[in-house]
Parts: sequence; structure tokens; C-alpha cells
Amino acid sequence: MSKKCKERIGLTFLNVFFLALCFATLIPILYALSVSFSGQNSLLSSDFSFIPKDFTFENYKRVIFGEDILVWFKNTVLLAAVTVTLSLAVAVPAAYCFSRRRFRGRKTILKCLVLLNSFPALLSMFAIYRLLRPVGLVNTGVGLILVYTGTMAVFSLWNTKGYFDTIPMEIEEAARMDGASDLQVVLRIVLPLAKPSIITTALQVLIYVWNEYIYATTFMTGEEKYTLAAGLNSLQATEMTGSWPVFAAASITVSVPVLIIFFLCQKYMTSGLTAGGVKG
Amino acid sequence: MNKRRKERLTTCAWSAPSMILISLMVVFPILYTFYISLTNMNVYHWFDFSVIGLKNYGRALFTFDSGFLSALLATVLWTVVNMVLQLVIAFVLASLLNIRKLRLRRLYKTLLMFPWAMPGYVSILLWKTGIFNSQFGLLNQWMEKLGQQTVHWLSSDLSAFLCCTVVNLWLALPFMIMIMDGAMQSIDRSYYESALLDGANWFQRTRAITLPAISPIIGPAVIITVFTTFKQFDVVYLLTQQAGAKTGSGFHKVLTYAYENAFITNNYGYSSAISILIFLLLLIFSARYQMKEEAGR
Repeated sequence: MSKKCKERIGLTFLNVFFLALCFATLIPILYALSVSFSGQNSLLSSDFSFIPKDFTFENYKRVIFGEDILVWFKNTVLLAAVTVTLSLAVAVPAAYCFSRRRFRGRKTILKCLVLLNSFPALLSMFAIYRLLRPVGLVNTGVGLILVYTGTMAVFSLWNTKGYFDTIPMEIEEAARMDGASDLQVVLRIVLPLAKPSIITTALQVLIYVWNEYIYATTFMTGEEKYTLAAGLNSLQATEMTGSWPVFAAASITVSVPVLIIFFLCQKYMTSGLTAGGVKG
Repeated sequence: MNKRRKERLTTCAWSAPSMILISLMVVFPILYTFYISLTNMNVYHWFDFSVIGLKNYGRALFTFDSGFLSALLATVLWTVVNMVLQLVIAFVLASLLNIRKLRLRRLYKTLLMFPWAMPGYVSILLWKTGIFNSQFGLLNQWMEKLGQQTVHWLSSDLSAFLCCTVVNLWLALPFMIMIMDGAMQSIDRSYYESALLDGANWFQRTRAITLPAISPIIGPAVIITVFTTFKQFDVVYLLTQQAGAKTGSGFHKVLTYAYENAFITNNYGYSSAISILIFLLLLIFSARYQMKEEAGR
């Protein structure tokens, strides 16, 4: 009896603890959410609450109609779509070869790729800038797409190759007996089976492009060419300038698509990062 | 045409786009960075730079006030502090989440995932303005309420380091909790039951059952996290080092240091030398890890 009672008290404590922890964790997001719905002047008063005082959609209106956010959104979606398609188109055939075929130099290349993966893309940014400038690719979408696909190329190749390795050869051999060509085998048999890893790879590339701000701000000039990340960066409220409520509204607007994608595809996010991570 | 040859041709053709892309956008820029590191390229010598050998490397490694060594030290310290805190906190929280009668587990897990799901740079900027900002940041609002002086949280080295650590933990913990939680769920309950019968307390059970059971599972994820923590750039850069909005803290990580030298003070040669040094360092570590993996198999 008393043991049961003790257990119940313990559980209550645990639940209170977790509720408090979740609330504390969400404070930065909740605060931004509340600020994004409150009028400009309510900020100056120092008594703060998580429920916005003069509730208003004004900030969201300003974000959506007053800023270039729709243009940035369009740029980002276009950039992300092309980058994801290109990354997969380039990575999948190569991953298939590295998984199925045995050729000279295969092991060496794979080892080099693992080592290359430890190189932070940021460090060669200046070199890339200097290489792309004479070719006229700085300040163009094509340049950014090249940079992004290049940065994610090693990861995409590894991630898909790792998954192909787990698909048994026998399934393919049966199809080959029936006279299917390489292309048919990949399109009809391997790809449908490898769907989880394809989705994971695509998601990772998509989220990378969506969240990348440093190349986007360094390589692109002119607000009409910005991506969402670069645009938000330019909107941010510093100590001196900028409007914190508008920035908060913009932050929430930009995050919502990512949050939706994340929670819809949570299964793939976790499995992709644990199983598909770069392992030898 | 014989079959072998045809197969080899398709292999070449199918791998070519990927290999060309990686060579052009990854390998070649690294080699070019190495070349720049041997020159005195900067704003004044954009076209007429000359090769000066290993001088940049000498400056980075042997001039103590150059800033590279202190940035390296800070980065190592950062990695150790963050990893220790992350592992300990994630372990405790995952253990608590696995207490059997906790009904709302799923709700807590979903809520705790939010920092991971948010776009990283957005969260960092929200922390910067919402929490640390000296006028309308929450911390200073609370300080005022308590009748304290407001503080410029990000402007001194130590407090910037601590603030960055808090933000980094906030961003990184969800992933670690998920990994540990997943690993703990794979442990067979019967081990605990027999341990309880033998009268083992929580510490004994943790040491004898939980830790040995989860460490092989979380191993790779932990190693990857060590690398990402070492390479973490966004937190420090966005909070304290943004061009035009520096907060005055001298806390640099090697990556922000390399970035500053390339894009703010425009010492391209020197910055490239630092980049190559960081790359070598990372190579040594990942090669060692790779060897271990290979030997363990």
C-alpha cells in the first residue's frame, strides 16, 4: 500500500518535472510566437507575458506584404527543388555502382570520400568564390545550386550506397534472368525498395538548402535574389535597428514549413541520421 | 562487344557525374585553398599575389598572439564541455523517459523534439534577440524585475562562451536524447528484473546493464556528434561574430576565426593556411576513428 503511494508521488513529481522542462525548452519559441502577435508598443512595458497583449496580425501582414518574403520563398523553393533533384540524379546511379559493382579503385575512392566528408564546406568558401567569379557564376542561382549539390554530394552518395548494400542481390538477379536491363533493374526494383533512404537523402538536402544562410548571403547580392535564410538574416533585429515583432513573425513563418516536414517525416529523419550516417 | 566491357562502361558512365561533381566542387576547392595558403593573397594582392611558401603556416602556429592557437584551445574546450554536458544530460533525461509507468512519454518526446525540428539559424537568432538582447531580451527583463543591473550577455568572453554553450545544448540535446532513448528501449527488461531481485541499486544497474548495453549502439552517433560539435559554426558566428553586429566578445572557434580572416579582415592566404590546418587535424582524427572501426570488425 505505502509502496504504491510512494510510486504515485514519484510519478507525479516526474510528470511535473517533464512538463516544466518542456515549457522551459520551448520558451524561446513561445516568446517569439507571443511577440509576433503583439503590437509594437506593448514591448516597451517590461511586464511580460506569454499571452500577447494587444493581439494583432499586423506583423504577419507586414512580413507577407511589406517585405520580399514571397520572392525569397519562391527563390528558396526553386533552389531546393533543383538541388534535391540534381543531388539524387547524380548520387543514385553512382551509389548503385559503388554498391553492386567491383572495380579497381572502388575501395580507395570510398575511403577518400569518408575523409572528404570531414572537411567543413565553409573552409573552402573563399576558394569556391574565387573559382566561380571569373566564370560568372557568383550571384547566380546556378552557382548556388552547384555549391549546394557539391556540398551534399558526398553525403548523398554515402547515404544511398549504404542502403543499397542492405538490399539483397538475389532480387535483382531474378529480374536479370528475365532479361531486364541495368536501367530497368534500378528503376523498377532497387529504387522502390530503397525508398526510405531516398526520402531521407532528399529531406536532408532539402533542409540543408532551406537552412543555409552563409553561402546565400556571401554569394548573392540584392535582396530580390535572396533565399529565405538570407532574407531573414537581413531582417534580424539587432541591438540598434530592426523590428523585433516583425522579425519574430518572419521567423515563425519561415519555420512552419520545416516543422511540418519534420514532424511528418520524423521516422525518416531519425533512421536516416542513425543508420545512414557516414560509417566505413 | 563482350559483356565485361559493356559492364565496365556503364559503371564509368553512371559514376561519372557524381565523381566529376565531387572533384570540381569539393576536391578542387580544397587543393586551391592549399595553393592560396602558400601565397600572400589579400585585398591588396588580389591579382598580383606571390608565393611565399609556408610563412602563413608559421604565423598561425608559432606566433602566439596570432589568435589561431587560442581559438584552437577554445574549440577543444568547447568540444569537451559540450560533449560531457550533452552526454550526461541526455543520459539522465532518456533514463527518466524510460521509467515504465510514465504515460505521457510520447507527448514529452514530441515537445522536446522542437529545438531539433526548428531551422537552426532561426532558433539561434531567436535566442539572440529574444533571450540575450540587452533591451528586450527575456534575461534582462527578468533582471530588471529583480531590481538588478541589465547585462550585455554576449559581450565578454566567458559569458559569451556560456551563452553559446547553452544554445548549442538546446539545439543538440534532442538528437542525443532520441539516440539514447532508442538504445535504452532495445535493452531486454528481464536484465533489470533479475538485477532488482539481486538488490542492485540504480547506480549499480546503470553501470552494469544500461551503459554496456547502449554504448555500442550510440557509439557512432556520439563520434559524429563530437565532429559536429567541433565544427559547429552557426551558434558562435550568429550570436557573437556577425559582420556588422559584433558583440565584442573575443571568443573564437577555429572555424569562425578562419571565416573572419577570409571575409572580414581579408587575409586570404592566412585564412587558407588555417583552413588546411583544421582539415589536417580533422583528417587525423577521422582516420584514427576509421582505423578503429576497421580493426573492430
